[in-house]
Amino acid sequence: MAWSTFWIIAAVCAGSIFAFRTVPLLLLANRELPQGLARALDFVPVCAFAALVTNDLFNPVTFAAGIWPAVMPLIAALAVVAVAVKTKSLALCIVVGVGVYALLMLVL
Amino acid sequence: MANEQQQIRGQRMAATFKAALPIMLGYIVLGLPAGILCHTAGMSVLQTFLLTACMYSGAGQYMVPNMLLAGSPVGAVMASVALVNTRQMLYASSLAPFFKGVGKGLSTLFAGTVTDESFGVNLFHLEVGNWTPWQATGVNLFSFATWVASVTAGAVIGSSVSIPTAIASFAMTSIFICLLASQRFNASKAVAGLAAAAGVIACKLLGVGGVAIFAGAVFGIVVGMLMPLRNSTDQHQGDAAASPRKGDER
Repeated sequence: MAWSTFWIIAAVCAGSIFAFRTVPLLLLANRELPQGLARALDFVPVCAFAALVTNDLFNPVTFAAGIWPAVMPLIAALAVVAVAVKTKSLALCIVVGVGVYALLMLVL
Repeated sequence: MANEQQQIRGQRMAATFKAALPIMLGYIVLGLPAGILCHTAGMSVLQTFLLTACMYSGAGQYMVPNMLLAGSPVGAVMASVALVNTRQMLYASSLAPFFKGVGKGLSTLFAGTVTDESFGVNLFHLEVGNWTPWQATGVNLFSFATWVASVTAGAVIGSSVSIPTAIASFAMTSIFICLLASQRFNASKAVAGLAAAAGVIACKLLGVGGVAIFAGAVFGIVVGMLMPLRNSTDQHQGDAAASPRKGDER
């Protein structure tokens, strides 16, 4: 890839992401948050992870390809939920999740 | 005295590494195919390394080569990467209270290296307590180093090995599921989470998948805010769910 193109992409992507990451924390860290904002931020983890999980599991393209490709990740996800609730271990969740998903994908 | 301090520092370092380890495992699995993809899109090893180190974004690292391979204009690539990372604003805001009185340098280093995964892990430890800003930053830096090394290694390996991306990316999905399942739920939060999921599905069906995560999460937060303020059942359930987690050392 041409270096000129590369630097434009790298600089703009890195700059915008860095701003998204740092500006809110630096702005908010040393002031008393209004109660409404504090309550809103309390919802962030649940909503962010619910959104990330849904984004990974729900894909209109796989639905178009048939029932099985759409259901398969959901089955693997259920296995991960069981491990997560039982053990709360991130590492174990990765191993079981990837294992079950790979098995379903390769076997069926 | 000095010895004792050294011991505490060692223990903290070990706890930090232990907390970062699952993230590192996931990043190795997901980073290799990302590097291979960059190679396929015509990026050199040096370019791949620089891009990973500068932007540190999993979604971005896949998006850039995929869109370039599909012939998208450079402007569209940059806009998509920025859009999909808007969610970072939520994490940075949410962690702000824990960085009260912490120096600007450390705060910036920490905030600049937050990811979906390290946010979840650090939030867990920060809420339990006994987790220093340095340890939180340590989790970020361990993860960052692993990601950069893994993506670069993928670029070096190039196309000689093929790792199915769908399987590799399920490592991240598994992490997200575990982090979601570890949250303290009450009625409002459950409704907010469901609303966030519905928002994501709506965005994807409308063909605006790039903003799905951010827009879905914000929609969930708004719906959560509309729920009646903490009634006694909420409070009670929250506490009951919280108590077993207190002593849980992951």
